[in-house]
Amino acid sequence: MLASGAVSLDPFLGAARLAALVRSRQASPVELVRAYLDRIEQLDGRLRAYITVTRQGALDAARRAEETAGRSGALGPLHGVPFAVKDQFATRGVRTTAGSRILADHVPDEDATVVARLVAAGGILLGKLNLTEFALGGTIRFPFGQPRNPWNTAHDTGGSSAGSGVAAAAALAAVTLGEDTGGSVRTPASWCGVAGHRPTWGLVSRHGCIPLSWSLDAAGPLGRVVEDCALVLEIIAGHDTRDPLTARRPVPGYRAALTGEVRGLRVGVIRELTHGGETDPEVRDAVVAAAGVLGGLGAKVDEVSVPLAARAGAAFMAICDSEGAARHLPWLRGRAADYDQGTRRRLLAASLLPAALLHRAQQARALVRQQLRDALATHDVLLAPTSHRAAPTIAAFTAPITSTGEAAARFFTRRSFTTPAALAGVPALAVPCGFGASGLPLSLQVIGRRFEDATVLRVGHAYEQVTDWHRRRPPL
Amino acid sequence: MSELTEAQVRALAQALGLPMTPDDAAEVTHRLNAFIEALAPLTDLPSAGPEPTPAPIDPDGA
Repeated sequence: MLASGAVSLDPFLGAARLAALVRSRQASPVELVRAYLDRIEQLDGRLRAYITVTRQGALDAARRAEETAGRSGALGPLHGVPFAVKDQFATRGVRTTAGSRILADHVPDEDATVVARLVAAGGILLGKLNLTEFALGGTIRFPFGQPRNPWNTAHDTGGSSAGSGVAAAAALAAVTLGEDTGGSVRTPASWCGVAGHRPTWGLVSRHGCIPLSWSLDAAGPLGRVVEDCALVLEIIAGHDTRDPLTARRPVPGYRAALTGEVRGLRVGVIRELTHGGETDPEVRDAVVAAAGVLGGLGAKVDEVSVPLAARAGAAFMAICDSEGAARHLPWLRGRAADYDQGTRRRLLAASLLPAALLHRAQQARALVRQQLRDALATHDVLLAPTSHRAAPTIAAFTAPITSTGEAAARFFTRRSFTTPAALAGVPALAVPCGFGASGLPLSLQVIGRRFEDATVLRVGHAYEQVTDWHRRRPPL
Repeated sequence: MSELTEAQVRALAQALGLPMTPDDAAEVTHRLNAFIEALAPLTDLPSAGPEPTPAPIDPDGA
């Protein structure tokens, strides 16, 4: 617990509550930053959530925030609250590696739009978070240290926003920012036991985000509670002239939408993902129970079919990896040995993918999008597991691939749970919904219509209000 | 589409100027064949379905 003036502060409180305490001058930004830096010092040698900690910059910013908080005048919604971002987002004067040796000395001269908006809202940057190399997934040896799951350090964190999940779960920052191309926010949120939101594609600027896939990348928040995701989304959403693919719609008040009310909402449980053979029974049971909780709150729950969902993983990887491989071609030719072997092999395979297969994957994408739209025409939100299982061991992810079947099982199966929403460009939230027999977190996915992120967050928040999974803390 | 052999994969990589170690070639072959196997059934998808646009063309569109 953090001692601060009149009240004792808890680093697990999360961004929204800490912001309120700073505003009411019950919490000191300097003490908050020091407390998180102490936790990083104490725990991150083992967890490896951070690639770079901006200690001095954070302390300087905290002192300025403390002075401002003492004066009259409006404060930003994140005033004095320490946050951290995936090392995929450019930060002026702070190296931005994308988790790769290739960019180990890359120091941008401007902030990504999302970072600039969080700072303008009063947030204090604590540092840059670890990730699978170039946000691709499948890294075997992390150049900046192996991120470890706070619930059991022998287990994987999920990726690609690995450090963002770890830092949110272990309270190494009040809130974090990740990037979700096909599940890269939601999978670490799922396996680390926190909330994580993939916004509607086009809602949040990608300017200054080192790209993986232009048609899929989406920056999104991870936090201990859904309210923290809503707070950050409200800050980072909205048109950016430097990203022409951002929407021009006005940004609604996402926090104001968190009413706890879901009565009358039509909720569809995706049959193929929840009851399919790949889904662990404990995950299926947790998702069905969560649907029951929402039903108990007055939502109208039934099952819905999205027949192509189970094939989404392969289609996604064909598209995402091809787009990524096109960007990486010069480095693949000139600096192949500087990539981690997992990244290099994934990019090499995508570089050789026949165009006819890529076209089939694009057709599948259009059909998945159509099937999700059809399901969302009759339902306000859809439910599914975020992942078909709890976090596997790190060793399971680093074993060599020796057969075609093994490649398909390792790469396509898991991704079929998070990629339908990504392929369709619709918002999706991961929220803790239980713990498995191994003591690792399980996660519910809430999927909504394009630009109806508020509804998705409302459902996740309502579920959170009547359950206590999000209140549990990893045994650190 | 039939499965690719490791020799074919090496030849493709060489044609594109992509360096590949023997270990890389073995695993890349498995990965490519996994794509071929997983995407082959999609040939049966209805051709009269929606156009295969990669993303919403209008960023504001629903």
